[in-house]
Amino acid sequence: MSSIHHMPSRAGVGLRLPHIEEAVATQPSVGWLEIHPENFLANPHATELLQELAGRYPISVHTVGLSVGSVSGVDRAHLKRVRALIDRVDPVLVSGHLAWSTHGAEYLNDLLPLPFDEETLQLVARHLQEVQDGLGRPYLLENPSSYVGFAGSTMTEVQFLNELVDRTGCRLLCDVSNVYVSAHNMGYDAHAYLDGLPAEAITELHLGGFSPEDDAATPGGTVLIDTHATEVASPAWDLYAYALGRFGLKPTLIEWDNDIPAFTTLLGQAAVADAVAATMIEPEARRVAAR
Amino acid sequence: MSPLADVQRRVRDAVVLGDAASVASLFVGGTDAAQRLAIHLRHYRTSLVTAVLGRFPATGWLVGTPLLEDAATQFVREHPPSAPCIGEYGQRFPQFLATWPGAERVPYLRAFADLDWHLGRLALAIDLPVLTRDDLAAVPADDLANAALTIQPGTHYAHTEWPIDELMTLCLSDAAPAQFTLADTEIWIEVRGARGSFRFARLTAAEFSFRVAIADGLPLGDAAQRAWDSDSTFDPGLGLAAIVDGGLATSIGRNLLGVQP
Repeated sequence: MSSIHHMPSRAGVGLRLPHIEEAVATQPSVGWLEIHPENFLANPHATELLQELAGRYPISVHTVGLSVGSVSGVDRAHLKRVRALIDRVDPVLVSGHLAWSTHGAEYLNDLLPLPFDEETLQLVARHLQEVQDGLGRPYLLENPSSYVGFAGSTMTEVQFLNELVDRTGCRLLCDVSNVYVSAHNMGYDAHAYLDGLPAEAITELHLGGFSPEDDAATPGGTVLIDTHATEVASPAWDLYAYALGRFGLKPTLIEWDNDIPAFTTLLGQAAVADAVAATMIEPEARRVAAR
Repeated sequence: MSPLADVQRRVRDAVVLGDAASVASLFVGGTDAAQRLAIHLRHYRTSLVTAVLGRFPATGWLVGTPLLEDAATQFVREHPPSAPCIGEYGQRFPQFLATWPGAERVPYLRAFADLDWHLGRLALAIDLPVLTRDDLAAVPADDLANAALTIQPGTHYAHTEWPIDELMTLCLSDAAPAQFTLADTEIWIEVRGARGSFRFARLTAAEFSFRVAIADGLPLGDAAQRAWDSDSTFDPGLGLAAIVDGGLATSIGRNLLGVQP
């Protein structure tokens, strides 16, 4: 199996179809680009442009449809299509979600929650291995954004992820915004969550915007929706700084999937991520220089 | 059935049918987990309805967004996607839409919506290197009748009782006249697209049969026979030359297995 390639230290942005021609034409200054393969598999023209970009930028492939948590198994036809795309763009990272989205022959177009128990653990570990074998590369798993939990869960999400890493040796994509959203919605401490993750397994970080709504489940309360439709919120930036302190500098991605703004707005968010990272590096650099 | 399989079956039904209360006891979240689960139900419905509306822009222009949205909402309940590429979702929607109340007043609706879906697909296609006359000349004359062509992937054929190409052109021109009469006229059209653009061409019934047979992978001899069934005066040599000169063919095989010359 191929190892994970070297990643640039600068932040990257999620490349969505409305921006791809602009990215090809302007070759913006950005560390790397991440794509959802599902946007490209039925779009030969966009794939052609993506291949051009792959010659200039490190590319990360972030799947939304592999569904490692489905009891009906990994969609092997889809896995083959993703593999074919991966072979064309040679990404530096490949990742997906700790979630399920397929049921039999149906694709439910959402990242649905899983109960955290032994049965799910065995299933996800088995499917993770199948995906990594099918793709011929490591496959990073991303923590979910949660609105509900399962009453029957026998472990916390952090315990589940630790156990999964212990059993499979897999690596993790920590979506810092998801941590913030889930902690708010489910009433736990986001910093404690980050403290509990296996730091050596964290290989990539995500940041995305979320949208507050009145929480119909808790009158007077607010629920945060992981919309990826706004700028990264201030408390998520703070949590990102905390994550960098905990995990060290990691490839960081800005995601924006709905109400997509001008590409320059995403680049601006990536610059903010770089600035936050710089504030974490400089004190360490000064300490090293002073020795 | 394992506990997790049972959970996912029940959650699937709740998500697709929009009934969070039926599985609320499985969940925790706030003081009323069903309300939280409803966020997932809403995402399923709105994301897919939005995808369908985005896939049929001209159909929305024709029948109005409210009708299309109502039909799409029911469609996503009855026909969840079968694959994760949402760009491929909705091919069966024209057939579904044709059964929607009120659709009987628009007899060309299914054909028009079907064309709408294909235009979206063709605009994303790319042109492949074309077969030349020299490539064709390399095939021994005796083998030609058994040879099969491969055509550009961004090609679609439609045979309808209404001139839906005129209606589509009107939609795309964004300049609707005060009155437009759609005559009941049988047409055979070829649509070709690549890299964001497409174009229509009307064919004769024989040309259409010839090209559809080729697109289906039939040998040239069989394709010619299909054309002669429509018009005994059809000239397959001229028909083949038009295909090659038009850049429609991308390769030729000496038999049905598509072996390259």
